[in-house]
Amino acid sequence: MNSEKELKIVYSLAIILFIVGILSYAAFPVKIPDEPVRLMFKGVAGNVLFDHKTHTTDSGYGISCKDCHHHPEEDETDLRACSECHHLPEESKAAPQACNDCHEPDEIEDSEFIKTSDAFHTQCISCHQENESGPEECAECHAMQ
Amino acid sequence: MFDQKKFVVSHAPFLHDESRISERSYNIMLAALPAVLFGLVHYGIPALGVVSLSISSSIIWEFLMNYVTKRPKSIGDGNAALIGLLFAMLLPATSPWWLVLTGTFVSVVIGKQIFGGIGGNPFNPALIGIAILMVSWKNFFDFDDALLNYDLGFIMVYPLAALKHFGVSAVDSFTISDLLLGRQIGAIGTTFGIGIIAGGIYLIIRGFIRWEISLSFLAGVLITALIFDLYDSTRYAGPFFHLLTGYTLIGAFFLATEDSSSPVNFIPMFIYGAGGGIMTVLIRNIGAHVDGVVFAVILMNIANPLLDKIRPKAIGKGF
Repeated sequence: MNSEKELKIVYSLAIILFIVGILSYAAFPVKIPDEPVRLMFKGVAGNVLFDHKTHTTDSGYGISCKDCHHHPEEDETDLRACSECHHLPEESKAAPQACNDCHEPDEIEDSEFIKTSDAFHTQCISCHQENESGPEECAECHAMQ
Repeated sequence: MFDQKKFVVSHAPFLHDESRISERSYNIMLAALPAVLFGLVHYGIPALGVVSLSISSSIIWEFLMNYVTKRPKSIGDGNAALIGLLFAMLLPATSPWWLVLTGTFVSVVIGKQIFGGIGGNPFNPALIGIAILMVSWKNFFDFDDALLNYDLGFIMVYPLAALKHFGVSAVDSFTISDLLLGRQIGAIGTTFGIGIIAGGIYLIIRGFIRWEISLSFLAGVLITALIFDLYDSTRYAGPFFHLLTGYTLIGAFFLATEDSSSPVNFIPMFIYGAGGGIMTVLIRNIGAHVDGVVFAVILMNIANPLLDKIRPKAIGKGF
């Protein structure tokens, strides 16, 4: 192999792979499934990796969607991510943006939502205590250090 | 002293055996291929995007540097492509394009070209790229976060992060065969244990890498992890866990063995390899980082010129 042949190989390699790379990024972005597999709850106390699939599938814990996603109560098809509503009210005291998707502003009486971490703590801890299983210490969920 | 076997070298002219640097680069890439293909099968098109963009952009950065510095084109030797491949193997499959481009720029330009190109780099270029990214954007190297949407049918938790944050009990369910067969999540080209070992053995047999460095690195990891494990097995994972997780195997066979940043003499190679292995486990077990291979090998790269001072005395010299 002489240096000219070497250069030809490298030029072709660079051009082909560059095109493949751009196509892969542009045409096939990372798919986000409709129903999450796992979720990472990020916070100052250490991130929490939540295995959504294990909690929901029948082969896992088989928890119904409604056990956690409690609003809207009637419509099972319109489940919302917890953090869409559960965050501290902004200074304007306006309700979270997600509320306005369905409600008129004057319909919303209570715009005091508990923040995401409180909602998760209440939800996770109460369910695990009820079922007497799973993590008990903070560091069993939170990735500390 | 006079009984010593000596190399007999004939007079010039010499015959070139047609071996070239490109042969070496492409052989190392070939050896890495099983692990890379395994990663592509697991992580799909996003991983293909990272690997393709990484190799091509490495070549382009080197081409541009050749042009800017008015030096002969060196991309033909395949070393830039090799750096790109090794760099991609260390990334999560979901790395954004700008992270790949920045990383290959740092690897090729700062890690290699500013030192004068191939043979002049004091550190492994791919590791310089990954180390700077790990320090600058550490969130992208949280494999649990990066691979949230993948479900590959085995324990989808990054073993070293689980060990660091939740202790030995959290990694009990990983078996050695799982780890060897790549049933673990991690970077694109680092999870398939058997593939990396096979590639490493191929390179050792062909003489492209030195067995002294690879084996002493692995021995350093095994022995240090064993000492920790014997000291307190409830706090520290066993030696084979450390051997088969994170960047250990790729570090031993593909990263620590890089030519210009590793020693050439016999004893220094052992010290270099073992030092890298020991540092890896020390960083993992008592350091702040989840994995220690990147910083351990870079630290040994720094020690390399000093280690290579341990060499046989030149015959005829007094001291």
